[in-house]
Amino acid sequence: MKTKIPDFVKTNQFGLLLLVIVFILLFTFTTDGFSSRFNIYALSRVVAIDIMIGLAMMVVILTGGLNLSLGALGVSAAMFGGWCMESMGIPISISIVLILLFGSFLGWINGYVTVKTGVHSFIVTLATMSIYFGFMTLLTEAEAFRKLPETFTDFGSMKLFNKYISPLLLLSIFTCFVLFYLFKFTDIGRKLIAAGANPDAAELSGISVNRMFIYCHMLSGFLAAVAGIMLTSRIGAAIPSMAGHLGFDWLLPAFLAPVIGGTLLSGGKVTVFGTMLGAVLVTLINNGLYLIDVGEFWVRFFLGLILLFAVLLDRAREYFTSKNSIVS
Amino acid sequence: MSKNILELTNVTKNFPGVKALDNANFKLKKGSIHALLGENGAGKSTMIKIITGVYKQDFGSLIIDDNKQSFSSPNEANKSGISVVHQERNLIRRFSVGNNLPKNNLGLINYDQVAEQSKKWLDIMELDIHPNTIVSELTVAKMQLCEIAKALSLESKILLLDEPTSSLSPQDTKNLFSLLKRLVKEQDVSIVFVSHKLEEVFEICDEVTVLRDGKNACVSENIKNLDRQKLVKLMIGRDEQIIKSKENKNINKENLLDLIKINTDLGHKEISLNLKKGEILGLYGLVGAGRTELIKCLLGLDRIISGKLVLNNEEIKIHSPKEALEKYKIGYISEDRKKEGLILMHDVLTNAGITVWSKLKKILSFLNNGIIYNKVDPYVKKLEVKTPSYKQLVSNLSGGNQQKISVAKWLAAGTDILFIDEPTVGIDIKTKAYLHELIINLSKSGTSIILITSDMPEMISLADRIITMKDFKVVGETMNNHNYDDMSASIMANIHE
Repeated sequence: MKTKIPDFVKTNQFGLLLLVIVFILLFTFTTDGFSSRFNIYALSRVVAIDIMIGLAMMVVILTGGLNLSLGALGVSAAMFGGWCMESMGIPISISIVLILLFGSFLGWINGYVTVKTGVHSFIVTLATMSIYFGFMTLLTEAEAFRKLPETFTDFGSMKLFNKYISPLLLLSIFTCFVLFYLFKFTDIGRKLIAAGANPDAAELSGISVNRMFIYCHMLSGFLAAVAGIMLTSRIGAAIPSMAGHLGFDWLLPAFLAPVIGGTLLSGGKVTVFGTMLGAVLVTLINNGLYLIDVGEFWVRFFLGLILLFAVLLDRAREYFTSKNSIVS
Repeated sequence: MSKNILELTNVTKNFPGVKALDNANFKLKKGSIHALLGENGAGKSTMIKIITGVYKQDFGSLIIDDNKQSFSSPNEANKSGISVVHQERNLIRRFSVGNNLPKNNLGLINYDQVAEQSKKWLDIMELDIHPNTIVSELTVAKMQLCEIAKALSLESKILLLDEPTSSLSPQDTKNLFSLLKRLVKEQDVSIVFVSHKLEEVFEICDEVTVLRDGKNACVSENIKNLDRQKLVKLMIGRDEQIIKSKENKNINKENLLDLIKINTDLGHKEISLNLKKGEILGLYGLVGAGRTELIKCLLGLDRIISGKLVLNNEEIKIHSPKEALEKYKIGYISEDRKKEGLILMHDVLTNAGITVWSKLKKILSFLNNGIIYNKVDPYVKKLEVKTPSYKQLVSNLSGGNQQKISVAKWLAAGTDILFIDEPTVGIDIKTKAYLHELIINLSKSGTSIILITSDMPEMISLADRIITMKDFKVVGETMNNHNYDDMSASIMANIHE
């Protein structure tokens, strides 16, 4: 008999963790400044948001769908928050609640239209992406909110743990644990996954699949709004173009994190911590390549390559549908 | 003695941890219909896959028409004149029938020519379908026949049929058999016939090969030397246990569920029937009679336009399976366990517990594996589901065990009324008998059951009362006296009058 290999070693996450470590070592020794306090702090601020948008995409991929409106939605929610705090003078805590409700509402629109029309969410969110972003630009006249309350923007520039880590990262990690708990230890989480895995069977087993799909989209909107708040707090202002035109800048990391992490594109399987590690990996590569000074376009080239590779991995994963549990 | 067109000699095939075939032999005489039998997991599928080039044997040889062959792909097997019709549908549903019968040429498609060529095969099959009909518009029975036409259109000399009758009515089955006999005679085709229905084997097969645990229990035995009992013993290695039908069951005379003149969106007309407490009510009909569709309307998946649904003397409306389960304690065991019954990519615990999550959840929707396990375990144990653990993915289980799980989850749900749709399709004899016993015991313990099955012997051994449906209407009702000849005659009379 061979020596028994512990189960966690065989998981996708373990492989990812090794990759992350390899890249950290690689960049530490090949670049100047990768392991500097400044760079690590900057990384932690970026990766925090990448994790959050990865999770936002993950919960829709769970249904076998996509949320292309992610960036537009997150920015819209952030702009709405800027308006609440700056123009209306609403206290921060209440503003944040309003932003999250607003994000969930936009997500609800995505879900409701998808479920009622039966059109694939790819098309629906392609449309709402344009609608949300267009509407937001119209209402804000493309003007930024730059005079946000200091308590709010201070949070984004706070430094913890000997000034290495941003509190934003802790918020993202905390969110991972909450989502893991949701999918692993609650009735509703189990139903979300079952509905995503086989809608027909789930429906006939007494699960309201349409409602579950709408919940997934609402959760996605909620998480995108959180990401929007985090980005606003980091930049210190709510700017319409902060996630690029139509929110495109968020799309690539949003896909990469869950797909690399092991979430099945066809739905029915989520990996919360895989998504987290996926986001870490993507941010690392991104950052390291900049430090090596390969140039912006090469970075994009590599990220695209990684996505393609990750999708191939997804196909392979679907083929073998390993014995891993459905939540990890 | 005619010669063998296909011969497998001492074939062995290993999978990690399992010896699927162990020195197995198989000989198909030219121009004969040969039954390949065995329980689920006996190695039939593996053997078929070796013949059709999906797998390659580890040891042993495959001889076709006196030539030693070794296929590396199904396509190569096709070219040597071997076609297989699988249990699962392999037609492209949104294509026309004609476009589903391809010649393997990848040129430009001339649609008129396609129609003309496929017409020829449809005619041979005596199928009255226009080649331009879209497949998804066909009844299941017709689809099955089209699959065979498709296999024939490849000009096959050896045809493998894997449970071809599982979705066919007796009438369709009869037609299929006379057709198969004609094909053997006129088209010079040799047929390998895989089925769990032994009646059929005796009806059309010339010779029988039985596999048990990957080994031959018999090779090319002449059917005339066998009877049902002997055959079963060869398959399961012991004598068959005959389930006793329960003549004098105390059926509560009160109606539990009443359908009064139900019309539906799907086209059901004036359906009236009632289900008594603790009764097994059979719904018989040909494929396409609207039985499954009726159940789906009752579950709220399609709309009931008019008529009344009365449960315990109270008129109710059901909007979704969720409402049916949680409010009225009604459950549905689907005929299509892979698509509708189970979540194949999820584990045993998830599948067995899915119906009880809502009931088991604690404060803040909390629910962990332990809670579900405690609830589900007795039922999984009771059904003797064979699985290495609760973490096993359902897709890795055998068909019989999968079916047991799709039943277990409804036992766990504790329903008062259970709609059971084709419970034993593609299930081996042992499990089938087991499920029959279970259904009877369920009804004895007070569960009311509406049973849909196209398997006439099954219907007659289980049902207390049989309602016959045809073209989305109820055409007859018969008390079941459990005499096969009486009952089948009167049911068929209902259908064909």
